[in-house]
Amino acid sequence: MNPRIPDTHAEAWAMLPWLANGRLQASDREWVEAHVSQCVECRGELDAQRRIATQIHRDNIQRDVSPNPGSEEQRSFNKLWARIEASEAAAPAAAVVTGGPVSRTSRTVRWLAAAVVVQGIGLALFGFNALQADSSHFVTVADAPTERLNAPAVRLVFAANASMADINTLLTHQGLSIVSGPGASGNFTAELSVDAVASGASADSVAAVISKDPNVTFAQPVAR
Amino acid sequence: MALKSVETPPLRATGTPDASERELLERIARSKDQAAFRTLYGSYYQRLSRLLSRMSVRREDIEEVINDTFWVVWTKAGEFRGASQLSTWIIGIAYRRALNALRRAKIRPVSDEPFDEDSISVMSTDAAETDGQWLALGLARLPVEQRMALELTYTLGHSCEEVAAILDCPVNTVKTRLFRARETLKQVLPALAGMSGENS
Repeated sequence: MNPRIPDTHAEAWAMLPWLANGRLQASDREWVEAHVSQCVECRGELDAQRRIATQIHRDNIQRDVSPNPGSEEQRSFNKLWARIEASEAAAPAAAVVTGGPVSRTSRTVRWLAAAVVVQGIGLALFGFNALQADSSHFVTVADAPTERLNAPAVRLVFAANASMADINTLLTHQGLSIVSGPGASGNFTAELSVDAVASGASADSVAAVISKDPNVTFAQPVAR
Repeated sequence: MALKSVETPPLRATGTPDASERELLERIARSKDQAAFRTLYGSYYQRLSRLLSRMSVRREDIEEVINDTFWVVWTKAGEFRGASQLSTWIIGIAYRRALNALRRAKIRPVSDEPFDEDSISVMSTDAAETDGQWLALGLARLPVEQRMALELTYTLGHSCEEVAAILDCPVNTVKTRLFRARETLKQVLPALAGMSGENS
């Protein structure tokens, strides 16, 4: 029997989880391994910890029950990205306070940016209220409240597998710009550009076209 | 404004995980590189989802916590000084956001239910399934700090020092939390802990 120094045993015992996961610092590993090789109790505990680690790994895999994790991740990222864009659009609006004389165009852009932020807050509040509401009360995409719009607009929902490149191409071709979203139902609101309106496009005509696009699952003109 | 172009599927990082991730973070800090951001997001989404699920964060809040975390990554990328591993920084942010989410939801992250051995399926002949049921019950009985110390060590493979950085506590506190978690699990998981000699 090897004499056991109580403190060494206690310290080695505390470090066994990191001997089990292979992340013990080299300076510690040497003496902990030396102790374990001589201590039946620590060897048993190390074995037990390895089994627990294996079981936690296995359990984590079994808990990954999402049928389409990639799609879930992309949808989640799209929400974050829309939030970042809204925030960055709002940044110039904040600069108005410190700026000198500004052109009418610049003021308009800033006003629009501020409007996007206000709409975003409104939609966030709407989403929060929807989450708090009784789950038996359904709000459909078409029921979503109408934002204050500056141009003809459509409300749309993108397909879960639509890439950002596809969405960009679609929006650019139709002369659309996202002004708010995603809403509680995953819907976005997009306005027609001045050029698109001048060339005869309307919310109805654009909604009819993009509703047939495979990257769009829902499209409807927004009543103004 | 049209959505800016983001490459999907994400780029694959190369080299050691931390070096590759730091490279992505530098691209985000230097040029607000959206593709790099998407790649970094993708490399953390699954592991953060698992971790938050273990913390008893509600399913509907998990996405919000992850996105709040990456909002910080996007806005503070230039402030990361590299004193720790990047994963330590990111997971630490997620952990603190998750604690806030639990407080907002008034969720007690520890089960108050008395431990009920009868809830383990007696019909199951699958040892792994039974072990999984024992484990789920055992983990549910741990305070969230102990559960996280265990999860960060065994699932994400962090060192003791890294776990301390993520949980924002001294190294000795981590050792104590894990020591207590092990003791609790041993009471609940006789087969896993080798107490009964079966199923080993």
